[in-house]
Amino acid sequence: MNSVDWIVLFGTLLLIVSYGAWKTRGSQSMQSYLLGNNSLPWWSVGLSIMATQASAVTFLSTTGQAYEDGMRFLQFYFGLPLAMVILSITAVPLYHKLKVYTAYEYLETRFDRKTRTLAAFYFLMLRGLSVGITIYAPSLILSTILGWSINLTTVLIGTMVLMYTVSGGSKAVSITQKYQLTIIMAGMVTAGLIAFSKLPEGITFGQTFAYAGEVGKLNLINLSFNLSDRYNIWSGLIGGLFLFLSYFGADQSQVGRYLGGSSVAESRLGLLFNGLLKIPMQFIILYIGILIFVFYQFNQAPLLHNQALLNKAMTTDAAPRIAELSAQYDHVFQERKAKANELVAAIQQNDRDKIEQSKGDIKAIQKAESDLRTETKAAISSAIPGANTLDKDYVFINFVMTYLPHGLVGLLLAVVFSAAMSSTASELNALASTSAVDIYKRSIRPNENEAHYVKASRWLTVMWAIFGILFASLANQAENLIQYVNIVGSIFYGTILGIFLCAFYLRYLQSTAVFIAAIVGEAIIVYLYYYTDVAFLLYNIIGCIAVIALAFIIQVIFNQIRSEKSGA
Amino acid sequence: MSDVDAGEKPPVFSRWRSWYWLVMLVMAAQVILYLFITQSYS
Repeated sequence: MNSVDWIVLFGTLLLIVSYGAWKTRGSQSMQSYLLGNNSLPWWSVGLSIMATQASAVTFLSTTGQAYEDGMRFLQFYFGLPLAMVILSITAVPLYHKLKVYTAYEYLETRFDRKTRTLAAFYFLMLRGLSVGITIYAPSLILSTILGWSINLTTVLIGTMVLMYTVSGGSKAVSITQKYQLTIIMAGMVTAGLIAFSKLPEGITFGQTFAYAGEVGKLNLINLSFNLSDRYNIWSGLIGGLFLFLSYFGADQSQVGRYLGGSSVAESRLGLLFNGLLKIPMQFIILYIGILIFVFYQFNQAPLLHNQALLNKAMTTDAAPRIAELSAQYDHVFQERKAKANELVAAIQQNDRDKIEQSKGDIKAIQKAESDLRTETKAAISSAIPGANTLDKDYVFINFVMTYLPHGLVGLLLAVVFSAAMSSTASELNALASTSAVDIYKRSIRPNENEAHYVKASRWLTVMWAIFGILFASLANQAENLIQYVNIVGSIFYGTILGIFLCAFYLRYLQSTAVFIAAIVGEAIIVYLYYYTDVAFLLYNIIGCIAVIALAFIIQVIFNQIRSEKSGA
Repeated sequence: MSDVDAGEKPPVFSRWRSWYWLVMLVMAAQVILYLFITQSYS
């Protein structure tokens, strides 16, 4: 990092933040503060939806995922287009017709106040906890890379987001997200092109594709039906459909984005835009990870991509062992580089026998490299107890810091900050909307004027941001907190989706039956969490089905009691 | 649910169903393309 990088980094961030705050200053009504006056065109809605979903960890992890595991993660998104179509047909016109501020308001129209409050409460629980992680996860990586304290990074991200979300509300979130997503995609593609440009001369883009395919990185589709395998086409289509229906249909951080559309048509097109572009966008990001993988076939990859941790380990007793492993790693790399050149030559000559032989050799060498890395991680873990040696999330950022020219390093860091800010902004706006509209206005102070509620929404945005920053600071002291928060999300998502599916599609069911089912369904999930080994991703489906099934049973019992009473 | 809501005129296509089919067809085309890529290198 030099002064050019710092200027580019802070210049980019301050420009976006100031523009968002200035352009949307003085939002006076609830309509303008929470829904941006319903003025957004479809492309703005679509970009906002995509920016909300893509957090900083998405970009850092996805490229690292492709680098280590190939492109099979893409299948996770296969249920998304179908979910977009279903929600465009059902949820979007309904929400617009009822002119709701939040998704949970609709539940009062369909059921009653208690069901609405319960769903809003579940949402605040899950999203309130995850906003801390949305700030914490990239802060951890950035603070490691930049050598800053984690608290400084979390406060910096939180404060920058607050600067425009408090003043401009929902519209500020959408306006800034357009520019943030533009910076993110431009930066990511630039990094991919630089990785490609640094390959040995004569290797074409098509040959990087062929190379990745031959060494098993283009594992895009797995047709086998296996419940224990996280990524196959069936888990993507079925599990992904459930997940994305609940995320886009019942999570206010996404519902708030398309409710800002100027009409049903604009909101629908925004969602369908996401349905069309999300998978290609993920493909591009994954392929950037693949280009970095190909780049490291011809250039020495670090023994550990988390360079700061490796440097720290070199100051401990483990240093001689790590140095020994590092020397072996260098030797293995030279072998692998020679084989990689052979494979490229065989691809260029289209010599099938040589291709098979070279790729067999490369796979064997990769196994040796992987073993050396595992040994290094073990050495680090024993020297620094509690050190997180998983370095997948550092692959991309370490490449950027090492190989990109000055100026672009600053831009790519702005990408990571922008991605963190765009997701955080939507989450804060959704938390403020839900707590202001569904809890404060509905149950605490129902008879105040518009200005009062806008002021309350602003204060609630600040409160949730402080909560997020504090949670992110505490996260530093807890192990496995990211996984813990993912579990919390899964514990509530299924139940919330169950309530909404009952509301949308099952006219037979009435409020009290759904309300009781939602409480019992949640209790079942909490029981599964504490007393069974059921994989937490399955909570989404189990919670949803439990709510629907229980609501049916309870409704049948209620109807029988009612008919018996009326008969008597 | 009607295909075109009263007072709404979706751009480009006159009926929403066309958009839904487009999204699903693009999705199907991508799955076939990715399947082809995977099979080509397995």
